[in-house]
Amino acid sequence: MVDRVETAAPTVRPLGQGGARWQIHDRHLGYIFIAPALIFMLAVVFLPVANTIATSFTQMNFRERVTEFVALENYGRLLGDRLFWLSLKNTMVFAIGSTIGHVVLGTLFAVLLSARWAPPRIRNIVRGLLILPWLFSLAAAALIWGLLYDPFGPLNYLLMVTGIAPDSFDFLGEPSNAMVSLIVINVWKFYPFYMVMILGGLQSIPEELYEAGRLDGANPLRLFWHITLPMLRPVLVAATTIDMITTFATFDLVKIMTNGGPQRATQTLSLYIYETGFRDVNLGYGAAMAMAMLVTLTVATALYIKLVVRRPSGGEGGNAAF
Amino acid sequence: MLPSNRERIALIVCVVIVTFVTLFPVIWMIFAAIRPTAETLAFPPVWIPREITFQAFADLFANPGELKYFANSYIIALATAGLTILLAAPCAYGFSRFRIRGSTALLLGILALQMLPTVALILPFFSMARALGIYNTHLGLVLADTAFTLPIGIWLLKGFFDSIPSALEEAAMIDGGTRLQALLLIIVPLALPGIVSTGVFAFLWSWNEFLFALILTSGDGAAPLTIRMSQFFTQYGRDWNGIMALNVVASIPLVVFFVFIQRWVVSGLTGGAVK
Repeated sequence: MVDRVETAAPTVRPLGQGGARWQIHDRHLGYIFIAPALIFMLAVVFLPVANTIATSFTQMNFRERVTEFVALENYGRLLGDRLFWLSLKNTMVFAIGSTIGHVVLGTLFAVLLSARWAPPRIRNIVRGLLILPWLFSLAAAALIWGLLYDPFGPLNYLLMVTGIAPDSFDFLGEPSNAMVSLIVINVWKFYPFYMVMILGGLQSIPEELYEAGRLDGANPLRLFWHITLPMLRPVLVAATTIDMITTFATFDLVKIMTNGGPQRATQTLSLYIYETGFRDVNLGYGAAMAMAMLVTLTVATALYIKLVVRRPSGGEGGNAAF
Repeated sequence: MLPSNRERIALIVCVVIVTFVTLFPVIWMIFAAIRPTAETLAFPPVWIPREITFQAFADLFANPGELKYFANSYIIALATAGLTILLAAPCAYGFSRFRIRGSTALLLGILALQMLPTVALILPFFSMARALGIYNTHLGLVLADTAFTLPIGIWLLKGFFDSIPSALEEAAMIDGGTRLQALLLIIVPLALPGIVSTGVFAFLWSWNEFLFALILTSGDGAAPLTIRMSQFFTQYGRDWNGIMALNVVASIPLVVFFVFIQRWVVSGLTGGAVK
């Protein structure tokens, strides 16, 4: 995709006296086309990031109402801040738990959808229905699951009648349950995206491989294990990376449903940054935390882009239609 | 290879279970919207609604305070979609058709931007919005949202422009047309599905956005629906009937765009171009 930029330059030059003018014109025209978007991003993304970097080296002195330069003091404070490490741990648990859920369910359901149990039209409809949760906002999902998790809700009832929870099950109020309850919502909300992505990968596996496997007498489980999974590897790596990066910054669910509680059991990094900046009005420390998060994610993104660029064209993500 | 009948039945049973479990939360939301809260919270649960009422919807549409959130959400999401198309389309066209120094690096930089966590920008966004006098305005949220829909829009549209042969506009230009004419009369109509998809994507992103709305609005001035939804948990007395009616109405744009989404999600744009 990236290579095409070079070859897509105008190759035909109009003949005659206008030719030279067109050429000069065209050479600059490209920059004119891309300028507005790039200037916008410069103003709305890079400037704020630069501002965050600068702020992270300062500390507001409320008594004298001045902002002081404190060099790396904020970063030093991070290292000894137990709440920061707890937030980081919770964030990792949330991100890893969600990612495992997404990739495992995504793979299983993608395989299920690509099996020929019905004509493609019907399977397309089912796929469409399964995408539904992905469309909702996390705020809407929080409401929906807030009702399901209610003490008088259907899930608590099911856990009680099946004897899994002898007493009422407290989904969000009990520290040991809250994180898992949030991960379940996140898995429900985002697995369809990864399912569709993996479905695209499944489509690019040549049917001959399965035929050869069957001739050798392999059962479906072995076919899955020895052909499907290895062939899906690039898609699964990409999905895992995107997922880890995006869930790492999760905020909405935690803020709306638990506000980090109970007893900080669901306190995540992004919530801590928000609270430091907007509740404690400690801009310098909040900025330092945001930078720590940004650097972590930049490294992860760099790794991801390396994967994307190396990926052979036309492979993963191709056409997920049946 | 087609599965045997026995395998087919087993597969269908699995599909039915998966679909039911995935859709149950949505069904439960709709049920709660059309029956009294008392029945929703009955224990043991009433699985099929008995007393059906649309009073909550009537109350919702008669309440100007609630409708304001809807208006705000529509204004912000539509404006974000418009601004995203306006900025992304020329940019994507430029990258697709012209030799631009460092274009590979620029495009990868743009790809990296979509991985940027929104929380990393909330502190400067808040002070910038305050300084520019656009705190608690639609404009402030539109600018913030576009910062995150633009990178994806550029990548989406560049893919579309790349798939349109440049010979088409070259032919038009050889025939005496200007590049602008070629662009507006030939390329834009051909790229329309991509442009619409980008708009739909930006609309939905903005419609569902919560964090920027939380830090850039206060009170009900410009606050969108996600803010209204988030306040439910801090309220006394939970009117599930009312909030789920609101949730159902708020989901209507999602369902309307569902057809677009379907085609767009599956047309290979999941290969890293979209979160």
